[in-house]
Amino acid sequence: MAKEVAGYVKLQVKGGQANPSPPIGPALGSKGLNIMEFCKQFNGRTQDKMGMVLPVLITYYKDKSFDFVIKTPPAPIMLMEAAKLKGGSAQPNRNKVGSVDWDQVRVIAETKMPDLNCFTVESAMKMIAGTARSMGITVSGAAPWDN
Amino acid sequence: MNYTELQLTLDPDFADILTAELAELGFESFTETDEGINAYIPEPDFDAEAVAEVVARYSGQTAIGYVVNSLEKTNWNAEWEQNYQPIEVVTEGGMSARVRASFHAPDGAFTYDLVINPKMSFGTGHHETTHMMMQHQLGLDHVGKAILDVGSGTGILAILGLKLGAANALAFDIEEWAVENAIENASLNDCQQMRVFQGTIAGVDAAEQFDIILANINRNVLLAEIPTYVRHLKPGGQLLVSGFYETDSPDIQQTAGAVGLTKVGYLTRNQWASVVYQK
Repeated sequence: MAKEVAGYVKLQVKGGQANPSPPIGPALGSKGLNIMEFCKQFNGRTQDKMGMVLPVLITYYKDKSFDFVIKTPPAPIMLMEAAKLKGGSAQPNRNKVGSVDWDQVRVIAETKMPDLNCFTVESAMKMIAGTARSMGITVSGAAPWDN
Repeated sequence: MNYTELQLTLDPDFADILTAELAELGFESFTETDEGINAYIPEPDFDAEAVAEVVARYSGQTAIGYVVNSLEKTNWNAEWEQNYQPIEVVTEGGMSARVRASFHAPDGAFTYDLVINPKMSFGTGHHETTHMMMQHQLGLDHVGKAILDVGSGTGILAILGLKLGAANALAFDIEEWAVENAIENASLNDCQQMRVFQGTIAGVDAAEQFDIILANINRNVLLAEIPTYVRHLKPGGQLLVSGFYETDSPDIQQTAGAVGLTKVGYLTRNQWASVVYQK
């Protein structure tokens, strides 16, 4: 028989760096879950994504057990990684401090498709490019649909 | 250590962007709220000016408000701790250990009785990796030996080592609460031959060598530090490792083999792995 779900906890945690401090400690501890068990499992599964912010959805059950799903990083995190940026531009609309190309935007869009409300990769790419512009990251070259 | 909570009120379209920006400033984790996001960072790492600068950078595009709160160090695990069930570790050779909290009654049916009040530290035997490390230890001769416990958490492995007859144990952890907890647990188990310090392997005297080194950490730390552990291991000594998945075993094996270690024991449990190496 399937275990009875008691609830869900949604967090964003850096890969390999879960620890029992807030918000993990209070979020799981208040439900009587074993915080250290979660930290060890999360860190074990994210050794390849050290330091990258990862959304994690924890399902916990009436018997105080839990499991969790790790999702893809938020698009801005992936854009920063792609543009090798340390923080966005000081003045996003004037001083462009980093850039990505459309191929990189496509990779991010395809990775994020399951989490975005987009029906096509093209619309997802436009959304990602918009996020890049907000952060002061230039998308270099002509958009594929303009060719 | 106290934590700083930054409560941001913002347009949901900017939640991910601010998450990315704050992650760059050292914020470790985030939660969504009805008003925006909350971000968390150890208090000593909080830089109010840097946060103000990030918020100002986006102020032309959207309205962002924020409040800073200080969160006191708390034992968040208390609820789980009150209800934890004792853990029993039994080997094929008939050796056995039972890990219990101080509110559980002892059970004379087990060879070794360990009292662990974990608070917020790792290591009660509930997790597969701790369980396998203990299984390995129960099959190893500890009598009169010097042991080192790397990333000791509750101190459970060093405490078991001393109960198995080790002459002394040195344990360390990077977390302040784990060090306090290991000292408390050593006292609960009357382990006077246990020294605990806060730090890393770099804090162990370069000339000090051990008969048994216990390292239940994670893949990346093990890959980086196994060569150092070997320098602290006496010839013929054993290195017990865990904290990684079976799929990471080949990487661990390659690093261990390159520094002359021989695999003499291997356990898996629910996809986690634990290996005993000999120098």
